[in-house]
Amino acid sequence: MIGRVRSRTSRSGIGIITIALPLTMFVILSFTASSFFTAQNLGNVGNQITALLIVSLGQLIVAVSGGVDLSVGSMLSLTSAIIVTFDPAIVIPLAIAAGCVLGAVNGLGVAVFGVHPLVMTLATATFVQGLTLLVSPVPGGVVAPAIEALAHGRLFGLQPSLYWCTAAILLCWLLLSRSAFGLRLYALGANPRNASLNGVKVVGPIIACYVLCSLAAVAAGIFLTARVSTGDPTIGAAFGLDSITAIALGGVQLSGGVGSVPGVILGVVTLGLATNGMNLLGVSPFLRMAATGLLLLGAVSLQRRKTIGV
Amino acid sequence: MSDTAERSRGLRLLNMATALPIAYAGTLILLLCAYMFRPALLSPLLLLLIIRQAAPLGLAVIGQSLCMRILSIDLSFGGVAMGVSYILTSGYIPGGEGALIACALLFGAMVGLANAFFIVRLRASSVIVTLAMGLLLTGIVIAFSQFRAPGDAPALLKYIGQSRVSGVPLAPLIWLALLIPIAWFLKRSVLGHYIDAIGANPRAALATGIPYGGIVVLVHVASSLFAVFSAFLLVGFVGMGSLDIGRDLALNSLAAVILGGVTFGSGRGGVLGPAVAAFMLTFLFNLLTSFGLGEPSKLMLQGAIIAVAAIAYSARTKT
Repeated sequence: MIGRVRSRTSRSGIGIITIALPLTMFVILSFTASSFFTAQNLGNVGNQITALLIVSLGQLIVAVSGGVDLSVGSMLSLTSAIIVTFDPAIVIPLAIAAGCVLGAVNGLGVAVFGVHPLVMTLATATFVQGLTLLVSPVPGGVVAPAIEALAHGRLFGLQPSLYWCTAAILLCWLLLSRSAFGLRLYALGANPRNASLNGVKVVGPIIACYVLCSLAAVAAGIFLTARVSTGDPTIGAAFGLDSITAIALGGVQLSGGVGSVPGVILGVVTLGLATNGMNLLGVSPFLRMAATGLLLLGAVSLQRRKTIGV
Repeated sequence: MSDTAERSRGLRLLNMATALPIAYAGTLILLLCAYMFRPALLSPLLLLLIIRQAAPLGLAVIGQSLCMRILSIDLSFGGVAMGVSYILTSGYIPGGEGALIACALLFGAMVGLANAFFIVRLRASSVIVTLAMGLLLTGIVIAFSQFRAPGDAPALLKYIGQSRVSGVPLAPLIWLALLIPIAWFLKRSVLGHYIDAIGANPRAALATGIPYGGIVVLVHVASSLFAVFSAFLLVGFVGMGSLDIGRDLALNSLAAVILGGVTFGSGRGGVLGPAVAAFMLTFLFNLLTSFGLGEPSKLMLQGAIIAVAAIAYSARTKT
């Protein structure tokens, strides 16, 4: 009995479906799409999911604390706009500073003023999207070679996306599973009142979560802009919902306290394979949008919550 | 969250006497601004036009405020509006105008039911569910419209959207005609009290035997239907189908509801507060356009207004 209860409330949130879904997709795609199981295409999938993985890991940190961040997409776009607009020497510090400010504003709104994270981040997402369009109204611009090298240069003959993924995974794992900060975060997400009564500070860690999440979006923005070698003020539009879909598929509970880095990796791979598969099978991009919606609905239905509502 | 709500009940009563929804002050400030810098906007003709323009948002806001009162939210308005626009104008569906309108209403009810199913039965977060539903509907409609572009709107809706009754546009009259009975109904009916009870404390409401799940279903169906009405007016204004219809409806309705003094679990601003806020937002966008501000600045202001209103509201109700 105790064993059952423990497995049900497992902190990682990884269930049978979390693991079976990407595996099944992989097998099905290997058989149905002839060009799927080629080194070229698998490399493409890796490239395509890198940015999503980085953003989703950021989203995981916020989700573990019991929040959600819809502003990651706008932050990613803003990073892209900054990179092609300003002097190459200052663009990365500038983007990081912007990420810190956005994260701090989100965190302050949520932790200090008690605004619902969705309302707060939806508002900042709108603001930042406006700012992005102000900085760079149309797609285009040139990315400095030094920044381009971040996604094109091959170190030891390996894809740069591999380094980005490894670094992001390692950082996030260390933070959540091997640090006191991570432990406190799980406690806060599971029950903020209990955590606070046990001496866990609430405001600081929550703000830190949102800052880290925005910084993840900045990192993803730098990688993505370097990879496509041009700026686009709406490049991140889909990332807010995609990252939530990915972590929900990875067994992360959006009510907080449950989620893990391996789960998020599985979720991102699932979503990446779904997108790649539909690409290979020639499904219209708009139907792919609908499919993301469907996947998201399926993913949140798998989670059992007690409360009805937001 | 419920703990802070309980603790602040005393304060909330005190606040109720002193504080009105931000929308009232905001509208006054905007009108003053217009009086000083753009007096032309205050001419009766333009004001009536702006009120007419606010009517679709006003209808959507009623649905959104109902959802938020019971601690839920509906972000699928954009998808619903697009779906309605496509049903009305694509020519796929045979039959007269009546059949088309009935179809659109049925579609709205189905979306509301689907939302409610996920939210009540599967206990999924309403934000995610309705966002996903919006994504799903938008994707399907855009994919379909590649095969068949939207055409003309039904004549009846064009008439409603564009005609006037002794100088007053019909659309705001319809808005008013829906607003007043709903305000009265929410204040007087058992259902209205149930909604307030659920917002104040869902667990207590459930424990006292209030049909919690049923009311959430009802509210979500109503909310989607209001989105359908809103889309009717929008399609009527434009006169033909468009894939742009209702794009900002979800976000703007959320902004208006918060500005109007209604937030998760609290209907303090009533029905009037959000309605005034819907006018305020529409007036603001017109004012900004008259100042020559473009889309980016509008988005920034919109975001800032939602954030500031939400922060001000939360700060006021917090102990």
